[in-house]
Amino acid sequence: MHIIDRYAYSNAIRELDPAQKGGLALIAMLFCLALDHPAVGLLTLVWMFALATLWAQVPARAFGRALLAEAPFLLLSLVGVALSVSLAPLVSPALQLGPFWIGSSAESLALATRLFTRALGCAAALNFLILTTPLLDLIELLRRLRVPETLIDLMSLTYRAIFVLLESLQRMATAQDARLGYAGPWRALRSAGLLGSQLFLDAYRRSQRLQMALESRGLAGPLRVLPLDYRRDRRARWFGAALAASLLLAGAWR
Amino acid sequence: MTALLELEQLHYRFPGGAEPALRGASLRLEAGRRVALLGRNGAGKSTLLLHANGLLRPSSGQVRVAGEPLVYTRRGLLAARRQVGLVFQNPDDQLFSASVAQDISFGPLNLGLDVAEARRRVAEAAALCEVHDLLDRPTHALSGGQKLRVALAGVLAMAPRVILADEVTSGLDPWMRRQVFAIFNRLIAQGVTVLLATHDLSVARQWADLVAVMEAGQVVAVAPSAEVFRDAELRRLIGADE
Repeated sequence: MHIIDRYAYSNAIRELDPAQKGGLALIAMLFCLALDHPAVGLLTLVWMFALATLWAQVPARAFGRALLAEAPFLLLSLVGVALSVSLAPLVSPALQLGPFWIGSSAESLALATRLFTRALGCAAALNFLILTTPLLDLIELLRRLRVPETLIDLMSLTYRAIFVLLESLQRMATAQDARLGYAGPWRALRSAGLLGSQLFLDAYRRSQRLQMALESRGLAGPLRVLPLDYRRDRRARWFGAALAASLLLAGAWR
Repeated sequence: MTALLELEQLHYRFPGGAEPALRGASLRLEAGRRVALLGRNGAGKSTLLLHANGLLRPSSGQVRVAGEPLVYTRRGLLAARRQVGLVFQNPDDQLFSASVAQDISFGPLNLGLDVAEARRRVAEAAALCEVHDLLDRPTHALSGGQKLRVALAGVLAMAPRVILADEVTSGLDPWMRRQVFAIFNRLIAQGVTVLLATHDLSVARQWADLVAVMEAGQVVAVAPSAEVFRDAELRRLIGADE
């Protein structure tokens, strides 16, 4: 969370209009989903990695770490597609484990490959977006797209609250630790439970104080704030065209 | 001369509270004053400030802003809050947006100002509070002192004539404190009245020209700083004696 947030605020295209960055990610995802070809997924990964590291100057390590964090979910779901488990003997190459037969087939492997590359491409596109665009800008983009104000307000308050509550959490955990709250697994479990309930109370009290503070500044219905200013980059359009053309070509490749 | 802010015989008891929090508290503030509000914990300082801003409504008594009784309707409250700004003790309770610029713009837009005027107010308040170079930083990346100055800018952007600040200088290092008092002094020079609720006696002695002392839900004295520190009984109430 903190790593993503740090790069989102410090990358070279931070000031760029979120619509342009979001547009690039959207093109990539749409082509990945629509063309459904392993080459398209892999090419998307290459594109997004290049845009993130060369254009936005996000370190390759950060991009890799974000992808690695998502990998386990991806791989877990692949196992179910690539392998089939049966009680009856399987014809194709199979392995017998007690009463179970674990096997695979060319079709299921091909399906798994397509699924894997497609998901990888989409994940890379989203990683490019979140590593280069602060959540604040994404919310601003949604506001421009006329998403209902109540949802926008909820999102922005939640985003802010994450950091405020994280700070509370760390303070409380340190205070517990200072009194040996985490010496031994049972005490740690008890302390963590107490911490959770205290954090809930803390969040509740904070919300009441926030309500008062907002009222004192004239709260009237939705939270009204100034729109943010962005820079537009001509190159984004070219990148978008090149991305779409190359993905189409890759999708046509047999 | 009509006072900017008058609190008259305010009574208030928190829902479920055993003791009343205010028992006939009165205070009168004129333009361009620097006021320290002293009194031990639980004396009613914060409760009094919440009344002055219309966040709490007294069970009896009256709040008058620039001579006009405060009307507890949306329009009446907005009119009062345009004149009386409140800065909270913990800036994290006040800053609701992850964008510094957007947070400061909240008050001016609620006043019904157009975008251009709101932008001007944000720039002006940010310059006054020396946070103009923080405008495009995320709120959660700021230090405590920076957050306080952003919170202050959010209130100043509404151009109030009275600033009520609850304990805002406690927990700041000496440099940050001087910076905050420099902001207060600039405002006072423009005719704004600043009331600071504090436990810091040196603030009351050196910065304030008027000291209000609260005890058990009442304002028991309002006097020039030097007088308060000469009076044996008041010295006892504000904890100036060992």
